[in-house]
Amino acid sequence: MRASTLLLLTWLLGAPVFAVGAPQDFSGVWSIVRSPSRLTTIAGAAPPLNAAGRAIYAQRRAAAARGDRSFDETSKCLPPGLPRLMLVNQPFEILQRDKAVYFIHQLNRLPRRAYFGEQLPDDPDPLYLGFSIARWEGATLIIESAGFRAGTLLDDSGLPHSDVLHLTERYQLDAAGRALHARFTIADAKMFTHPWDFQADYVRRPGYEIPEQVCSDKQTAATGIPY
Amino acid sequence: MYLTHNERWAWMGAIALTTVLSIPDGVAAAPAPRTLLDSGDATLALTPPLRGATAAPPGSAPPNPDPHDLEGVWYLQGYEYLLGPEPGVPPPLKPEYMKILERRIRAKNRGTPEADAPTQCLPHGMPRLMESPYPIEIVQTPDRLTFLHEVAHNVRRIWLNRAHPAVLRPTFLGDSVGHWEGETLVVDTIGLNDRTFIDDEGSSHSTQLRTVERYRKIDGGAQLELSMTVEDPVTLEHPYSYRRVYHWRPDIRPQEYICEENNRNAPVDGVTVAK
Repeated sequence: MRASTLLLLTWLLGAPVFAVGAPQDFSGVWSIVRSPSRLTTIAGAAPPLNAAGRAIYAQRRAAAARGDRSFDETSKCLPPGLPRLMLVNQPFEILQRDKAVYFIHQLNRLPRRAYFGEQLPDDPDPLYLGFSIARWEGATLIIESAGFRAGTLLDDSGLPHSDVLHLTERYQLDAAGRALHARFTIADAKMFTHPWDFQADYVRRPGYEIPEQVCSDKQTAATGIPY
Repeated sequence: MYLTHNERWAWMGAIALTTVLSIPDGVAAAPAPRTLLDSGDATLALTPPLRGATAAPPGSAPPNPDPHDLEGVWYLQGYEYLLGPEPGVPPPLKPEYMKILERRIRAKNRGTPEADAPTQCLPHGMPRLMESPYPIEIVQTPDRLTFLHEVAHNVRRIWLNRAHPAVLRPTFLGDSVGHWEGETLVVDTIGLNDRTFIDDEGSSHSTQLRTVERYRKIDGGAQLELSMTVEDPVTLEHPYSYRRVYHWRPDIRPQEYICEENNRNAPVDGVTVAK
């Protein structure tokens, strides 16, 4: 009785249900509410880059100011890496299964898998999208990832990460199941003085079918489908 | 015309198959390659098939015998570069398209293959995508089957509870709808663009291409049988079908495959570069 009252209260307040309840079904198509071009911490501060991180970031900002974005490999149709893939202004689909949760992105059809009941490998092969494991804490889906290639960007502005990036994502559905709240933790001792968090929100896109999007296809530009 | 060679093809196919089965995985067979239409013309030599995947190793998770649950990782047994009604036999192309196929095979044998979609990191198209020497992961949800192909991270969505849209913008992989007929999943695909080939050797299709795939679990779910029917009133004399088998491979996990990274086969002036 008290639990249902609490649920009703959180629903009325529109707040996410924190770490209570059972696993939820996140399946469906989602779009980010606001795609950030430059990440900040939850408090709105600049990310805590260390000296090495500041040097790389300053180089990229200077290049961008000259109109040189060659540091951004997405211009060559390469994957944006993580967490940036979760921040682009394009829908993605979640397929939630017992063994894994799949994220299938509209952006160049990129797939992501996070496996339940597994550990992160000790010595992972560096990949654009890393290796991801998933677990539930109450109603919160937690995804941890490691094994990233250095060279992808954390955000459009060129915020750097290294090969030791450890990403933690915490996803919660709102009580009505229409919004997805995510909290990301960036831990990367080679680029930042300490781990830091940011948030992103997503809305459900009922009935939206993700179209075939092929980055390498220059003809796609003429069809109006972004790439 | 080539139909008169069918018996001989079957005989040669049996020899080739025996050769293929006696060599290690992934090694090309056939010391004396077959030629298109059994012409004996070396400039029309066909690329020999690959053996492809074998059954899951001992100790792997047992197959799921549920005939209506296709979820899991599947891996093609055998791999043909020419996707006709039987190994080594071309699709029943109309004469003008047979000439184009000959042109492409000759270009390949000169070492200057014509650029095709996959070498440009474009999706393989149909039915070619199903003829891949890479694993295919099927994710099955109530309204859909999603095929996650390792090769170039191609994604196919097969909708179980809707018809084809009335208006389709042609795409590389088209629009796929499916339904169950008993224990067989029937997948109908239309809305394909004409920028891909039917097969690796370069058989042409048009936007009128339609494929009908019939999937059925056999051997208690250890194998998935595909009967593929290809129709194209523009390039083909008549529809044709072929059969394939995929192995249940729970031991395999699809890997990240990024075609766009340092693509060594990117075409230059319409010719695929092989490095």
